[in-house]
Amino acid sequence: MTALQGVASRRIVAAVADAAARWTDADFPPRVRLLDPIVERTGYSLPVVEYALDQLFGSITRAALEATIESELGSLDVLDAPQTRSGRTRALALPIGSVCVISSRTTIGVSIVPAVLALCAKCDVLVKDREDGLVRTFFATLSEELDACASAARAEQWESESDAVELQAFDAVVAFGSDATLASIARTVGPGRFIGFGSKATVGYVSREALRGEAEARAIADGAARDLVLYESEGCLSLHALFVEEGGAIGVPAFCEMLAAAVERAEVEFPPGQRDAHVNSRVASARNLAAFRSATGSGAVFSNERATYLAVLDPPQSEPPAFLPRALAVRSVGSTADALAYLRRHAVPIEAVAAAATDDALLAFAIDAGANRIARFGELQRPPLEGNHGGRARIADFVRWLSVENA
Amino acid sequence: MTAAYREEAEQLDRAILEAIRRWHAHDIPLSDAQFNELALHVFAHQLRYNAPYASYCAQKGFTPDRLPQSWEEIPPLPSAALKEATLATFDPRDAALVFETSGTTQGESGRHYMESGALYDAASLAAFDRFMLPDHVQLRYVNLVPNPAENPHSSLGYMMRHVSALLGDSETGWFIHDGTLQVDALIGEIEAAVEHDRPLLIATTAFALVHLLDALDERKRYFALPAGSRFMETGGFKGRSRYVDRHELYASAARRFGIALGSIVAEYGMTELASQYYDDVLLRQARDAATEPRYKQCGPWMRTRVVGPDGRTLAHGKVGALVHVDLANRSSVVAIETEDLGVQFDEGLVLMGREAGAQLRGCSLTAEDLLTR
Repeated sequence: MTALQGVASRRIVAAVADAAARWTDADFPPRVRLLDPIVERTGYSLPVVEYALDQLFGSITRAALEATIESELGSLDVLDAPQTRSGRTRALALPIGSVCVISSRTTIGVSIVPAVLALCAKCDVLVKDREDGLVRTFFATLSEELDACASAARAEQWESESDAVELQAFDAVVAFGSDATLASIARTVGPGRFIGFGSKATVGYVSREALRGEAEARAIADGAARDLVLYESEGCLSLHALFVEEGGAIGVPAFCEMLAAAVERAEVEFPPGQRDAHVNSRVASARNLAAFRSATGSGAVFSNERATYLAVLDPPQSEPPAFLPRALAVRSVGSTADALAYLRRHAVPIEAVAAAATDDALLAFAIDAGANRIARFGELQRPPLEGNHGGRARIADFVRWLSVENA
Repeated sequence: MTAAYREEAEQLDRAILEAIRRWHAHDIPLSDAQFNELALHVFAHQLRYNAPYASYCAQKGFTPDRLPQSWEEIPPLPSAALKEATLATFDPRDAALVFETSGTTQGESGRHYMESGALYDAASLAAFDRFMLPDHVQLRYVNLVPNPAENPHSSLGYMMRHVSALLGDSETGWFIHDGTLQVDALIGEIEAAVEHDRPLLIATTAFALVHLLDALDERKRYFALPAGSRFMETGGFKGRSRYVDRHELYASAARRFGIALGSIVAEYGMTELASQYYDDVLLRQARDAATEPRYKQCGPWMRTRVVGPDGRTLAHGKVGALVHVDLANRSSVVAIETEDLGVQFDEGLVLMGREAGAQLRGCSLTAEDLLTR
């Protein structure tokens, strides 16, 4: 029996949504108190942190939670009592039990969405992270909305190996981390479900049709710039490579110039974060290498003196994405086949594809690239709660079904 | 090449060689003005004869008709550029020395072409002699670095062959064969040295030293090397699957071989440079038993700037990327930008290592993840 098993699902959903709504208020004292620790931990600038909190908690609405549950489970009521589902046997969705969400080192609050959905499934949830108290403080707000959450939702520091053995006691383990971290956790999880969110990248694709005019191209550039600068390119939904078809009314070099100008504008809204000397040197070195290539007749480079951003036109195909903060390679392509060949060559696992519109070719590209999401430029960092992050169900992994065939 | 080129190149080489010789033989350093003048002459020479570098510098606003006033303004070339272009003032088919970088995880290696071996030989010998042999002893050289007979384009192997031939006891041993450490033969050499009280100079890459220590640990072997023995350790763990903290590595080696920490000297060099840095621990030993921090020093024909992302020189004590201006690179590129981090102090350069990196964030892709797939 879990702590929330006797609570109606609508009551849980309402509590989660109400708690999240309080966190969307920029003046909510617990949120204000956490800003500095989050800035300190992540190195992101304050506007980026504020954006992340707005986006995270703004996405956790009652409507979004209900839509997610209904689309995956059929209805909210199925969490409370057996329900007849369209064309299927009557069934009850029971909590899988205890769920551990591990975020070994992530951007901002990524463990909160799976945690609240596991709570909506009436599971007991423990979040283990190395973060800044965000999850723990949010859970405190949640407990104010619904007393039972005080025992259902807990947050603790993740202590790595010393915690590994305990994982076997959970019915499901959700983990965010590097591939190595996930592999290590997966080895220690018992027979329960392991749900890993590993390392992935996101790319953009600009078709020649999308570059039919300056206004259209500028809008794409503005969106791509926002996708690039948020979270210093560290998230799986950050823009890591951009493919631009040749032959548009706006040429690829001209678009690259527009993009650079757009990044400079985006940096006014979202200033660069703190970087350590090593990252600084890698970005500066990448910029200077691109400048050397440009001087010797290959490609072009757009950056500024402090290398706060870097857009490189047509670096060698042999070069994988840089994965440096606010650094983006813009690659001229003839078609999606060229883009796909590049991604395959470098074995880049893809989370999302940004594009102005989805036609058959773009859809095929996203499928072949292994993407889980297609989004508009500028919307990459605003994933809807009801989407399928990592290509997975949001709540279905946290329930077990009891079929009731004799009712 | 034209007669004018030859005359200019020979003139520059003579001046640089003389600067090296005066420091090596008489401890007379180049003054700031002398270094500046020579560096700007070398730079002007490279603008005339090294086309890719000249194109890069033109983009930075420097041409043969518009030269900088100070060596600190010379545009440094990113070291990775050597993987993409031939950067030489002469026809590389006429190169006396060709050194290859060890390559990257993308499998591309770069080449450093040198028109004559004289500058490299003189620069490497003088610095090695100063910092590895301040006591002017003749040692037996035990090399755990690429054997030039097997790896003719390894700058490290070439350097060790050169210095051990001139400064060693004529019985130099090479203990890396086909990329494999010859542990048993090496143990035999060490045992013989101990038995005959013959001090050794063991030149090793960090990675080879780790393997050696592992092998000795398995065999439960400890040694007390003869007095005067020392290690020259070089290179990091970049691209390697295993990383060992340098302090741990040195402490472990000191215990295993019965030597003082101050007898282990880190050399810092790179294929893109003709000159090297060394820890000053052996030089300091006479007056100071401390080994930390390990300040690095080089010959006065090379100077280093610690720079920020805007390329400007940082104040002493600030961490930044290293830009080396090496006059012995006369026939290639005089100013090289690296991703190595360091801090400049009055006492010398402190290297921060090549392994430091941004930490990973979950649910994201990092180059480290990607490149190890």
